[in-house]
Amino acid sequence: VITGSADKTTDMAPGREVTTRRRRPWRAVEADTPRVTRGAQARLGVFMTVPLVAMVTVFLLLPLTSAVYYTFVDFNGFDPSPPWIGVSNFTELARDADAWAAFENNVVWIVVGTSAPIVFGLGLALLVWNVRRGSVLYRVAFFLPFVLPQVAVGVVWGWIYEPSRGWLNRFLEAVGLSSLARGWLGDPDVALYAVLGTAVWATVGFVFVVFLSALRNVDMNLVDAARLDGANAFQRLYHIVLPQIMPVFLMVTTLTLLGGFSVFDIVFVMTGGGPAGATEVLGTYAYSSAFQLNRISYGTALALVITVISVPFAVWMNRLQRRLSLQGTGA
Amino acid sequence: MNHQTVAGSGTRRRLLLTGKHLLLLGLSALMLFPLVLTVSTALKSSHDVKVNPFGLFSSFSTENLVEAWTVGDFGSYVVNSFLLSVPSTLLVVVLSTMAGYAFARLPFPGRGLLFYLVVLGLLVPFFTYMIPLYFQLRSMGMLDSLIGINLVLASTGLSFGTFFMRAFFSDLPVEVEQAARIDGASEWQIFQKIMLPLVTSGMGALGVFTFLQNWNNFLVPLLYVPSGEYRPLTTGLYLFLGGRSIDIGPLAAGTLITILPVVVLFVALHRQVTQGFLSGAVKG
Repeated sequence: VITGSADKTTDMAPGREVTTRRRRPWRAVEADTPRVTRGAQARLGVFMTVPLVAMVTVFLLLPLTSAVYYTFVDFNGFDPSPPWIGVSNFTELARDADAWAAFENNVVWIVVGTSAPIVFGLGLALLVWNVRRGSVLYRVAFFLPFVLPQVAVGVVWGWIYEPSRGWLNRFLEAVGLSSLARGWLGDPDVALYAVLGTAVWATVGFVFVVFLSALRNVDMNLVDAARLDGANAFQRLYHIVLPQIMPVFLMVTTLTLLGGFSVFDIVFVMTGGGPAGATEVLGTYAYSSAFQLNRISYGTALALVITVISVPFAVWMNRLQRRLSLQGTGA
Repeated sequence: MNHQTVAGSGTRRRLLLTGKHLLLLGLSALMLFPLVLTVSTALKSSHDVKVNPFGLFSSFSTENLVEAWTVGDFGSYVVNSFLLSVPSTLLVVVLSTMAGYAFARLPFPGRGLLFYLVVLGLLVPFFTYMIPLYFQLRSMGMLDSLIGINLVLASTGLSFGTFFMRAFFSDLPVEVEQAARIDGASEWQIFQKIMLPLVTSGMGALGVFTFLQNWNNFLVPLLYVPSGEYRPLTTGLYLFLGGRSIDIGPLAAGTLITILPVVVLFVALHRQVTQGFLSGAVKG
């Protein structure tokens, strides 16, 4: 009906063809397809998505529904019809000082664990930006920590943080800062930051690679023009480069931020939430409530609260990013 | 590229570039230091581990590796890791390719609604429903079962996989599909003979990425393999850490065994792996 014209407009803008990827090409033909084809497509479409739907229903929707149900009952793991207790899990949560302490640790994790990789990752990416030879080597070296299993990462960093023979303390002694040396994972004042340091080490490479690929798409003519106009390196970065990689910037922020809500493995392995709850985050607290203290409903309520806090962030950031990326393509 | 306009700065530029490389090499060494430390400690003699566990390459012996492999049971953990990662990865690739094609190119009733289901899978973190899922699996008799764990692992990767493959199919030109249809190809033939060969690189990237995710997964086996019958490397290493954290030598060897396949796979296929992570970021 109007589909033909939609196809034409993209054809009529020859300058755009190279840069703008045509989004959803099937839209243009859908209304044109004969009824027989549409019937066949519908049948195949259903057939191809049935396994996905079955899997998602059984292993996501069903447990997610149970999760909501669990939070309103007092489930002990065996009782098939547990007593209904209403919102008392949530009122207890609101008064639980340990939960609030864990939440605070998550906030620290989100702030530091998002900003530090972005600063270091962007710095590294700017450094490698116009390096041609050997840039593959750097990409592999920096990215490798990100793909390692976090259990292994936790084990090795435990040795680096070891009080008497660990490399961190030995390094501090060598440079005359032995007053700073301590048992990094055993000291409640610094344990959270020590674990965070490990997480930052593991994340920097990812942020670096994402920024590097974004930088390689930056319009160099604009940067050169700004240089000729007398803009210094910082001005070029702030006014020319950063706006062009803004969508990627927001995307990386979203991802690391969301990672900060659901952090579990690395804390669980390195400190188990200790010493004295100093590194307890909501994830480890939910786990120990449910599986060590057998407070299944309370643990589920905790996990659900984390999700309810984090999902709006994900949706909001995703929208923002989509709007910006549309602006970026000129659409 | 050559956006240097100041004349006569050739040598200065070269010097700057050399300095940059030196700095980057130093930073790379710093980033890779924990790996070097793992290799060094894993290959020490047991006597050396006791006196100087973290000194770099001060002795050589394979006794730690042998002990981890046999006494530490890492030999069977490796087998279990493959048993848990390979089928679940294949499942993710096959089902995601099918669903990705349907969402990208086939108008069918309920497509919009079903797509929300996929989005839901991307937004809801696993640990939101990990506790009820434990009791669900228990009542289904799927705890400690290869089928159960593989299905759970696959389900955690399906939403991303569908998004990923959908993007590949969306980028294919309409003309290919139309030409095949005019030639009398059925919808299934169009998918299988025409479109599928065009996205094999995407399937490969998804496969490598998913395999790494499943290999590295810690929570799923921690929760759903309570008896330890199919304990993979990640939870095996954790158990070993808890039980014998003083045995640094075998622990380092176990760590090395756990990360070695990941390191080899990543170095060999870093392009595909990075692509997976990047697409997960950009298109998710």
